[in-house]
Amino acid sequence: MTPSGNPLSYTDTKPVGAADFYFAINATFRFVLNNFGIEGLRRYWTDLGARYFAPVAARWSAGGLPAIADYWRAFFAAEPGAEVEVSADIASVTVNVRVCPAIAHLRKGKREIVPCFCQHCYFIGEAMAAPARLTVRVEGGNGSCRQTFLRRDAAPAPQDLACIKEASC
Amino acid sequence: MLGCYDFCGHYEWTFEWLRQQGGEPLVREYWDEAIRCDSQRHAAALIGAKGIEGMKEYWGHTLVDEGAGYYCTATDAVFRIDMHECPSKGFLTRNGLRQYHDYCDHCMGWIGPLLKEHGWVVDHEHNHCGQCWWELRRSDDATTPSKTGKLSGEHDVRHRADWLPPHGTMDVYERANDPDDKTTRKTD
Repeated sequence: MTPSGNPLSYTDTKPVGAADFYFAINATFRFVLNNFGIEGLRRYWTDLGARYFAPVAARWSAGGLPAIADYWRAFFAAEPGAEVEVSADIASVTVNVRVCPAIAHLRKGKREIVPCFCQHCYFIGEAMAAPARLTVRVEGGNGSCRQTFLRRDAAPAPQDLACIKEASC
Repeated sequence: MLGCYDFCGHYEWTFEWLRQQGGEPLVREYWDEAIRCDSQRHAAALIGAKGIEGMKEYWGHTLVDEGAGYYCTATDAVFRIDMHECPSKGFLTRNGLRQYHDYCDHCMGWIGPLLKEHGWVVDHEHNHCGQCWWELRRSDDATTPSKTGKLSGEHDVRHRADWLPPHGTMDVYERANDPDDKTTRKTD
């Protein structure tokens, strides 16, 4: 936790974000996918996780699983329309996303959702978790999912991308 | 998950990522294709159908949602925005985020082509510190930009003591629709 008590590395003056920005996130994924293919899009997500989110990853490295739990609680509190429960034990943090705010808003706006949209949670989360010797597994998607952060030395099976559902409007 | 709360941070980061992949043309393509034609297509629909009324509706909604400190002025011929506290530039400044060399260009990058498509031109200045003004007129209207205070009175951002920041640069667009159709001048 920071001296200010905020687990988020980047903070704003307003309590929650503007939901229409989900339109731009979805459009950005589509643009990168169209220009660089699926491997390029996954590289974009990994770079985001490793570089843009480097300050978050540093806090996770310092604070371990409790820092991850604090982060996701604060993160989803700032995302409009999110319904999420975060639970932690000695070995893992589970983020149970009952209502994904991005998918819900894209549907409300009748936007065509990039089918692999939900994979970004895996690739970004994995890049953020790696410096802390942690890993993430994502199951579900298309509006609700479960994300589990756990130690790499627990040697879980690799992420099966087939376990992440395609998104649709 | 990539969120909307810190959207402006990863949006700005993405400009530089794209620039490193495909140079400045790819960044312009992104603003035009992904932002104008895809993400913000509701803006084009409103402005294309309703003109100035659509501008009031679009910017009234989106700037409030984003937490901007701004003032809009509209007549039958011109729509003006005085931006006193740009929410996205403010977010970047407060969080010390700067990857791309000129974040402010993105607005003209998608708004300029959108307005061109619907027959409007833009007079605009931004000071790279979160303050700017815009005057949008039909392309067959040769009226020059307003003098300070003439259109928006006391709300004119050019009245601010910090409008011309020391050792800064001002980007100036005159009857433009292209993010690169600008002149840059020092503020002192």
